[in-house]
Amino acid sequence: MKNEKFVCLLILVFFFFFSSKSAFAESSYVLPYPSSMPGSFAYKFHLVYENISKYWHFGSFGQFEYNLKIADKYLVEAKTLFEYKQYLLAYKALKKSDFYFINILPQLIKANKEEKDIIQKRNILTYAVEKHIEVLEKIEGETPNAFVWRPEKALPTTLYLQKEIVNSVLLRKKSL
Amino acid sequence: MKKITVILYGIFLLLFTIFSYVFIDPNLLYLKGFYSGFAFSDRLLATIFYASLVVIFFIFYGIFIYLGYKKKINLKEIFMLLGMIAVILFISYPAMLSYDIFNYVATSKVLFFYHENPYVVMPFEFTRDPLLLFTHAANKIALYGPFWILLAGIPYFLGFGNFLITLFSFKFLIAIFYLGTAFLIWKMSKNIIPVILFSFNPLVVIETLVSGHNDIVMIFFILFSFFLLTKNKIIFAVLFFILSILIKYATILLVPIFLFIVWRLIRKKGVDWAKVYFFSSLVMLIAFLLSPLREEIYSWYAIWFIPFAFLVLNKKILLSVSIVFSLSLLLRYIPYMLTGTYSGQTPFMKEIISFIPPVLVLAYYGLKNKV
Repeated sequence: MKNEKFVCLLILVFFFFFSSKSAFAESSYVLPYPSSMPGSFAYKFHLVYENISKYWHFGSFGQFEYNLKIADKYLVEAKTLFEYKQYLLAYKALKKSDFYFINILPQLIKANKEEKDIIQKRNILTYAVEKHIEVLEKIEGETPNAFVWRPEKALPTTLYLQKEIVNSVLLRKKSL
Repeated sequence: MKKITVILYGIFLLLFTIFSYVFIDPNLLYLKGFYSGFAFSDRLLATIFYASLVVIFFIFYGIFIYLGYKKKINLKEIFMLLGMIAVILFISYPAMLSYDIFNYVATSKVLFFYHENPYVVMPFEFTRDPLLLFTHAANKIALYGPFWILLAGIPYFLGFGNFLITLFSFKFLIAIFYLGTAFLIWKMSKNIIPVILFSFNPLVVIETLVSGHNDIVMIFFILFSFFLLTKNKIIFAVLFFILSILIKYATILLVPIFLFIVWRLIRKKGVDWAKVYFFSSLVMLIAFLLSPLREEIYSWYAIWFIPFAFLVLNKKILLSVSIVFSLSLLLRYIPYMLTGTYSGQTPFMKEIISFIPPVLVLAYYGLKNKV
């Protein structure tokens, strides 16, 4: 029993090291680890924190950081949910990521008008876009074209997943 | 003798002020005209000068303590002297031993000029800002409490966008809190000895009036909170206690002591203030000794326990350790001043210089008690 536990631990350690290496291979921009997922107890607290955090990150640079951070978070959430074939939740998470991503560039424009040097932030955004596109293209290859969501006591809805992913990629490319 | 001492002390402070300008940072373009590079080109001589000045500072400290014990100096004279010290050292160069004051300016600029949250955005993100040339911890978000950041708005706005005026406005603010703390110590002790021990202490004087560290602001508010407790004004005491924590957090460790006093006051039981100051001093000494867990021991952290230690005159061991620590912590700057590097033997030498003298004092008291 003890040996089994040790082997499991060893595998986990190896998995951690090898998986992390491959994750950073293509782009130096680092996305966060997945946090709590929809339906979990902690998720509601995360939503509250997210809303309060918006006011804490005042200022154009603060808002830049906030929107990028949340866009990253929801992208990772979407990726995880797509992998688990939770398409409705993944679709919603991707929409949220897009929503926050749209706010990033206007904050940089605002900062520029305030005569703040935005070169570093611009570079960060470029790296982030590259990483986001990399992740989105990976998801696109593993996701069905459409998904019919059948809620209880309501009409089914078709979610055009690939179309949404392509839109997300385009939206990000626009900010380059 | 007293008159001559005061005149010599005034001249000495002026010399110290002049000496502080040999440490001007070469990148500090605002004081380019005063830059000599002496402290960086002739490190040995600069270190000898510094060590000698510290020793002279302590000789004067001893003389003032002597005058106090012999009742040859009164409260009015003490405060006139403190005014003189504050005025002369106000014009000294503040980044002689530490660059923290630049950090105060940079942090307040992040909030009040760039309108960004200094707990989120670091000064170095404003890459075109000239402050980055000489601000040393520009790659850190705000290290201090929110009340300090708000309070820093006063000197920041008094500077009207001029760096030098802003810098010296910070020193002015700190000098006010220094005088306020000295006055509070008088109000709390009704004895000139604690006032002399604290306000003439070279470490307190240099770290507060020269370097402009905000630790004195935190201490002012905590002492004011304790003073209010002596007057049974619990609600205001709680308010000022919280304000103290929101300056630099360290006084949060005094919460149990504070709650104990409040409990005693509510129960209408007497408070042994000497014990309160003694234990406060010990707690803050522990906080000081534990500071390497966060970063490292900085000399000005001694201001956390020194005022409490000097309020308990019957604890000779605490008094001696505090005074010896004051000396050793000022000498702690020597290894870096001499070598110009924070690596190599410097960290080890700094610890040796800082801790051997107080350990020897403790050993002396230990042996004395055994005999």
